Amino acid sequence: MPSDGFFRNLVKTFQKKPPDLAEQPPTPKLDFILGAEPREKLDPWWWLVAAVFVLLVLLMALKPDPYWDIFLFVRDGLAITVELTAISFVFIIIVGLIGGLGRIAKNPVVHFIATIYVEVIRGIPLLVQLIWWYFAAPALIKSIGEAIHFDAMANYRANPIFLAVVGLVICYGAYMAEIFRAGIQSIPKGQMEASRSLGMTYMQSMIYVILPQAIRVVLPPVGNEFIMLLKDTSLVSVVAVADLTRRGREFMASHFNPLEVWTLIALLYLILTLVSARFIAWLEKRRKY
Amino acid sequence: MPKPIIHIEDVHKHFGRIHALRGINLDVHVGEVVVILGPSGSGKSTLLRCINHLEVYDHGKIIVDGIPLKTAKDINVVRREVGMVFQSFNLFAHMTALENLTLAQRMVRKRTKAEAQKIAMELLTKVGITEKAHSYPAQLSGGQQQRVAIARALAMNPKIMLFDEPTSALDPEMIKEVLDVMLTLAKEGMTMVVVSHEMGFARAAASRAIFMDEGQIVEEGKPETLFSTPTQERTKLFLSKVLQI
Repeated sequence: MPSDGFFRNLVKTFQKKPPDLAEQPPTPKLDFILGAEPREKLDPWWWLVAAVFVLLVLLMALKPDPYWDIFLFVRDGLAITVELTAISFVFIIIVGLIGGLGRIAKNPVVHFIATIYVEVIRGIPLLVQLIWWYFAAPALIKSIGEAIHFDAMANYRANPIFLAVVGLVICYGAYMAEIFRAGIQSIPKGQMEASRSLGMTYMQSMIYVILPQAIRVVLPPVGNEFIMLLKDTSLVSVVAVADLTRRGREFMASHFNPLEVWTLIALLYLILTLVSARFIAWLEKRRKY
Repeated sequence: MPKPIIHIEDVHKHFGRIHALRGINLDVHVGEVVVILGPSGSGKSTLLRCINHLEVYDHGKIIVDGIPLKTAKDINVVRREVGMVFQSFNLFAHMTALENLTLAQRMVRKRTKAEAQKIAMELLTKVGITEKAHSYPAQLSGGQQQRVAIARALAMNPKIMLFDEPTSALDPEMIKEVLDVMLTLAKEGMTMVVVSHEMGFARAAASRAIFMDEGQIVEEGKPETLFSTPTQERTKLFLSKVLQI
């Protein structure tokens, strides 16, 4: 698939004499002067980000009551939303990678466990899962603790943020596992065969040959999951996490101005997802082969 | 007679209901170049892939360089001594030619980066594509890719080289550049097993030609003899079709 980088390299090969490798050390990546790199064309969708940002600033500057007040009230919720998304996403990637490798494993036990995980979790709504982790799981832990007379478990107190992360990671990990499985399987079988025929182990081949190529394939759907996760964190507002949505509800409960509150909350989510989308697009463009 | 470097004894292989190999017996000695030909579906590629355990055979015995494959504790010990060249090249798409050559050297042979690069550049010179060392596979022609693939296998200093229809995916004008590299290898005394219909190569380089059909070795002999005076009907039929082209 010819990317921009490919054509740029192609043009370069025509412009330059082929480098004489005997004389020239192999440093082909820095063939322009530092500080004078050819400028990338700015992604035009940044204008949309800018527009939403300007709109937000204008609202807050021109009508500080209520917009600036709302913002001050919900900003800790905004931070929680961002943190929750970032922390969950790191673990989702790990769980997804393990799950995806499990789904393609030849070992029947590993394959069975990974498949059960994916099928069961995908079949239950995220909201139900989050509620289960916050209300049902602590009750389960307590009753087990009482039954075996283990005080640490019997006196377990639910930590909303921790259980929200657990819920999000387990749910999204299942979808991510399927994305990774598909990405790995999209790499031609010959790549693994060539690698194994050179004497490399399965794990070495996975790490150095298959996954680096699969990452390119899975980047768009993984980015998609990230944006969905960011929005789905609003569901944790039901399980006692003071995220952006919950803080918005709290403000509305005391000030009774739904239009202003939910417009601002919507714009805040929008700016977060739009910036994420631009970052993902930039990552996709950076691929080198 | 010294011990053969590849010893294949009564090997059978099934793919589901298909009986792909039906009792293959074959010995290859050091320095021999064996060319295997036969119609598609005759099991020649399967046999080749059994030799480095990319396919697991169901019955029989294969001993490579003194190690029986079925009971080998670490199959990678065998594989690092057996280079393999594929019909579809299978260069690592995300790596430059040079990186393709150095990866396994560093991972498996535990060579330093500088050492691996030195060996890689020597081999790229040998196959005549030094100037493409920093190109990605997608920027190379088929013939260039296959020459890099041969160099990649050679970088492991294998005792045996397996070629699975190395020129079948190439445009006609690129076949020669790959065959020339293979001819050089053969002259240097490399032990080679080649699945190919390149009669010219077989005549020039092969010490033995083998004709396979329906999972069995039908006939074998000196390439000249096998091509000019085949004794079996199936061989005659096949050769008459191939030689017509």
